[in-house]
Formats: sequence, structure tokens, C-alpha cells
Amino acid sequence: MQQLFSAFGIQLNLLIAQAVNFGLVMIALWYFLYKPVMTTLDERQKRIAQGVQDAEEAAEKLARADDAAAARVSAAESAADGIVASARETASSERSRIVSEAEARAEQVARDAEARAKEEGERMRRESEKEIARLAILAAEKVLKEHHA
Amino acid sequence: MSGGISVVLAAEHLGSVFGFPITNALVMTWLLMALLIGCAFFFGRRVKMVPGKFQAGVEWAFEGALGYMAETLESEELARKFFPLVATIFLLVALMNELEFFPGVGSIGIVHAGSFLPLLRTPTTDLNFTLALALISFFVIEVTGISVLGFFRHMSRYVNLRSPMGFVVGLLEILSNLGRIITFSFRLFGNIFAGEVMVLVAGYFLPFFLPAPLMGFEMFIGLVQAAVFAILTLFFIKLAIADPAEAH
Repeated sequence: MQQLFSAFGIQLNLLIAQAVNFGLVMIALWYFLYKPVMTTLDERQKRIAQGVQDAEEAAEKLARADDAAAARVSAAESAADGIVASARETASSERSRIVSEAEARAEQVARDAEARAKEEGERMRRESEKEIARLAILAAEKVLKEHHA
Repeated sequence: MSGGISVVLAAEHLGSVFGFPITNALVMTWLLMALLIGCAFFFGRRVKMVPGKFQAGVEWAFEGALGYMAETLESEELARKFFPLVATIFLLVALMNELEFFPGVGSIGIVHAGSFLPLLRTPTTDLNFTLALALISFFVIEVTGISVLGFFRHMSRYVNLRSPMGFVVGLLEILSNLGRIITFSFRLFGNIFAGEVMVLVAGYFLPFFLPAPLMGFEMFIGLVQAAVFAILTLFFIKLAIADPAEAH
């Protein structure tokens, strides 16, 4: 064993020195190389994830805004429809009211005219009766006068 | 040594500081550590939220490795915990292996007491480094097993007195896990050292022409070995956190 070790030049202190060397390299590389690269990779991954999430949220928000706008437009449309319909209804009821009023008025007028015509006829009949009576009296007077005379 | 090929299994001693031996492999380790840490430092400071092409490439490798580990360990948390270990094994070993044939490595040196001493030696061709790495890997695997499963449940993998068969299986488990230290260290050492020797020999036979393609091949092997070491560590961690009662 001793011979083998000396043939290959194996010495405990050299062995330890090389182990320490490797340890130093590992620590130095960890500090100078692995850590910064890892941190950068992690940080970038986090940022990308954040970016994707933000984009998704923005798209969702946009979709929500579109929905809200569409809802508002349809609400406005239905309100407009309602207004037009009620206006139409009002107009038609007004029209029928005016027409019926006019009809009533016309009827009234006709009735008044009829009544007045009737009254006039009555009055004329009464006057003519009075005239006839007066004429009859006159004729009777004349007859009596002639008879006496 | 002129005119011949000298193959030295052990890393050459350049001297000692306060009784601590300084080998050429150790010097090279320090240089490569400084290079790797320096690159990491300058890159890490410039990491931006919006990546450039280079940063995007590094991030791609990061996420790929981390995703693979999370898939293997079936846990994002464990993957993040073991990522520094596995990634550092790969990066450091790959860097060492890739710079194996960098001009100056093994060729610049001093002549001491009549023999040539190269100042730089690829650390993965020194068993001290590969064994240290194998031991780290081994301890991390065992400690992970204990911390995830608990001491007694983890140890029931090795000492199983419920049946004679289970006992033998436990013994085999001990042997194979201890054997990992040897296979881990010698696989890396052997591959890279053999590649270096092969290029050396090829240069002796057909200088200028043969070594270049072999160097390219050896660099590929170096990359593969770095990946093998890292991925095997990952797999053994996975095995260690699997419940032994369910595994058998």
C-alpha cells in the first residue's frame, strides 16, 4: 500500500490541499457565477409570469368593458323603444280623444240646430195660429157688420 | 533524459514551503483556479436581465443542466442543492483537461539535479487531485444518504441482518461503494494520463503530424471524462437518496 501510494505520489497533505482547492473553487463559483445567474433566471421567470398574468387580467378587463358597453347599448335601445312605443300610444289615444270630442261637439251642434229649428217652427205655428184667429175675428166682425147694416 | 521518453506517475516536487510540498500539479491547479474564478467573477458581474448572446448561451447550459438534474433527482430543491457541486466538478475538470496540451504545460521547466522538472502538470494526471475529488464525491454521497434517509435507514443498506442474502448484498454494497473511490479517481487519472503518454509517444514516432489530431481527440476525451465524473456523482447521489427498503 505504502509502495502504491509513493508510486503515484499520493501524500495526505497534497490530498487535503487539492480537496481544499476544489472547495474554494466551488464556493467562489457559487458566489460569483451560480448565484447571480440563478437569481437572474428566477427573477426573469417571475417577471414573465407577472407579465402573462397582467396580460390575462387586461384581456379579462377588456372583455368585461365590452360586455358592459354592449349591455348599456341594449339598455338604451330598449329604453328608446319604450319611449317610442309610449309616445305612439299617447298619440293614438290623444287622436281618438280629439276625434271623439269633435264628434260629440258636432252632435251637440246638430242637436242644437235641430232644437232651434223645432222651436222656430213652433213659434211660427203659434204666430200663424194667432194670425188665423185674428183674421177669423176680423172676418167675423165684417160679416156681422154687413149683416147688421 | 534527453532522447528518451520519461513517464512519471507522480507529480514532480518543485520544492516546499514551510515543509509543505509544492508539486507542479498543485501550481497548475492554482493557476486554473485563478483563471476559472476570474472568468466567473467577470461574467457574474455582468449578468443582465436582458441577456446578450453569450449570457443566453450560459443560461441555456445552466437551465439544461439544472433541468436534467431535477429530472434525475426528481426534485427541483435537491437539484438546486447539488448543482454547485456537480457543475463545479464538470467545469474545473473540463478546464484542466482542455488545457492539458496548452503550450508550456509539461514543457516549461527547470533542470534540477540532472533531471528535467516541468513547472506545470495537468492536475487530472496527478492522483492526488483525482483521489481528492473522488473522496469529496464519496463523502457527499454518503452524507446525502444519511441526511435524506436518516442514519439507520441509510446504514441498513450496508448492514442487513434480516436475511443471509440481505447480509451478503450489504457486504457487496460496502465493497462497491468503497470501490467507487478507486474507480472514480483512476478512471479520470488513467484516461487523461494515458492520453498524455500517447501524445508523447506519438510525437516520438511521427513528430508534427501525429500528435495534433491525437491532441484533439484527447481534448474530446477530457470533456467526456469531466462529464462522466459529474454525471456519475449525480447518479450516485440519486442512488443514495433512494430508500434501500424499496430499492431491493
